[in-house]
Amino acid sequence: MNSELRPEIIQAFFKTGFSTPVIGVTGGKGGVGKTTVAVNLAAAVAARGRKVALVDADVDAPNAAILLGLSLDNPVDVPVTQPVFDHQKCSDCKLCISACRLNSLFRPKEKTILLMGECNGCEACFLVCPSDAISRGRRSVGTTYKNTSGKLTLYTGELHPGLEESALVVTAVKKRVFAEADQFDCILIDTSPGTHCNVIDALKGATHVLAVTEPTPLGAHDLDLMLSLLDMFKVSRSIFINRADLPGRMNEIQDVAATHETQIETGLKLDEDLLASYVNGVPVVDAYPDSLAAKTFMALADNLIMEYLP
Amino acid sequence: MKEIVILSGKGGVGKSSLTAAVGHLLAEKYKVVLADTDVDAPNLDLVLGAELESTHGITASDKAFIDYDLCSRCMECVDVCRFSSIIGEDEPVIVSYSCEGCGACTLVCPLEAISIQPVENGKLNILNSGSIRVVAGELGIGESSSGRLVDVVKRRAREEAELMGSDLLLTDGPPGIGCPVIASLKGVDYAILVTEPTPSALSDLKRVVEVARFFKVPAGVVLNRAGLHGKSRNAVLSYLKENELDLLVEIPYDPLLPKALAQGGLAVSMYPDAPASVAIRELTKTVDAMLAGK
Repeated sequence: MNSELRPEIIQAFFKTGFSTPVIGVTGGKGGVGKTTVAVNLAAAVAARGRKVALVDADVDAPNAAILLGLSLDNPVDVPVTQPVFDHQKCSDCKLCISACRLNSLFRPKEKTILLMGECNGCEACFLVCPSDAISRGRRSVGTTYKNTSGKLTLYTGELHPGLEESALVVTAVKKRVFAEADQFDCILIDTSPGTHCNVIDALKGATHVLAVTEPTPLGAHDLDLMLSLLDMFKVSRSIFINRADLPGRMNEIQDVAATHETQIETGLKLDEDLLASYVNGVPVVDAYPDSLAAKTFMALADNLIMEYLP
Repeated sequence: MKEIVILSGKGGVGKSSLTAAVGHLLAEKYKVVLADTDVDAPNLDLVLGAELESTHGITASDKAFIDYDLCSRCMECVDVCRFSSIIGEDEPVIVSYSCEGCGACTLVCPLEAISIQPVENGKLNILNSGSIRVVAGELGIGESSSGRLVDVVKRRAREEAELMGSDLLLTDGPPGIGCPVIASLKGVDYAILVTEPTPSALSDLKRVVEVARFFKVPAGVVLNRAGLHGKSRNAVLSYLKENELDLLVEIPYDPLLPKALAQGGLAVSMYPDAPASVAIRELTKTVDAMLAGK
């Protein structure tokens, strides 16, 4: 992608249509603690009496519900349009076959048109059919869920295993929470690892982004990729260092931060209380409010509330 | 030659470290090619300390382009795009990062002002670490079509393996279960699924097991950081038993692993007697037996 984006694309990235602040939690590398930070930050904001929506947009591997000890309720199907062929109306012109750029349409000899393989629901085949022989069917690619516990409402997106349409599920769960944004004081979004389009879609509308990392060579490398992405969209961001006491290369993280002119927030050390809360499905701010980890998250939440919440 | 992929669902459970260590140990006996298909965050070369031999751009993505000299600003394309990838008030603008290159916009444009063109979406790096050949994909920042990039990486890795007369192509896969994971998994002989004893990692393991079964790839499980949490370890073990999945090895949590990584080395060579290194050698024996039994 060109490092210079057209201003319209950047404006569209930030446009939400509501005033509730949106905080993204991301990080590039997998397993650095994105979900831990997102869940505990959400619990801390809720503990301050604010209504918070937490969005689990890591639709391949959603874990926020597990960390919160919540079940997945209120399922809503995520559909994608699929062509359904009316073989009586089909004139056998084969225009749809050439329009499908995924090469998923076939007409075996002596047979009628078949959809075989990937279909992203682009509807190009509908547009070229001169005989009105294609109608809209639906195929499910995932599910979104919503569950409220006190001041915290969790929205989760989940891709069906075996399918590839993660992007559609990310968009669907974002749409669900954004439609109800006015009910909340703050929206927190937990993304998947990586720097691809699903991460950008997950972060769309973000007022501020926390980039979570760890002080290892891998953490520094992937943080650099993430900050480069945020640079392109000119997103406000800061760095949260997890496992700050890992034997590693804190100086590399500091170099990356300086290159991208990004501030480093408080860090978090390896912590028995945090691990216990992680495996027991209770946020550390609720389970062990006096622990160092809980105090770190409360302080971070207070900063966010002061900076971004009305 | 055998093709094995290392996956996990959850990120950060040790895929790259394990790929590097197993590849390194097997290279003492076999000709080994490693592939890195975690194209979003390719880290295998960092873990191995591999040296870059060559790099070249990969064009494995299609995007729409508007010729503004021809465009009448009718905005038909904005309405037809199912991916909301054409925006704009006064003139249409392609949102390149989410454009799927499906071409629906080209079909409604009355002036043929839009074309679909291939674009470079990443790089392919060839590296060497001792006798090990490494083929790594790297997606451009904010680019899409990671699955197609993975296909290119796999194709090149197979060519390298063939050229070397290699016995093993071991792939360090991406986290998750989506498009690049499926591309990494298709057509391999075996999947090593790495997990750790936490409820999150187990939940993600279950999802990646479903994907492996969907594509009929046999799989076994490595339990990393095994001593982290006893109750969760039992949950993983009973899940494996119920689903008739092999436990390949349990690797204890070992602070020498991150220490070696920070020093730019591999624990199996820097600290060969460390408990984690001993366990990784166990796993390597199992893989060795798979290669010998071909």
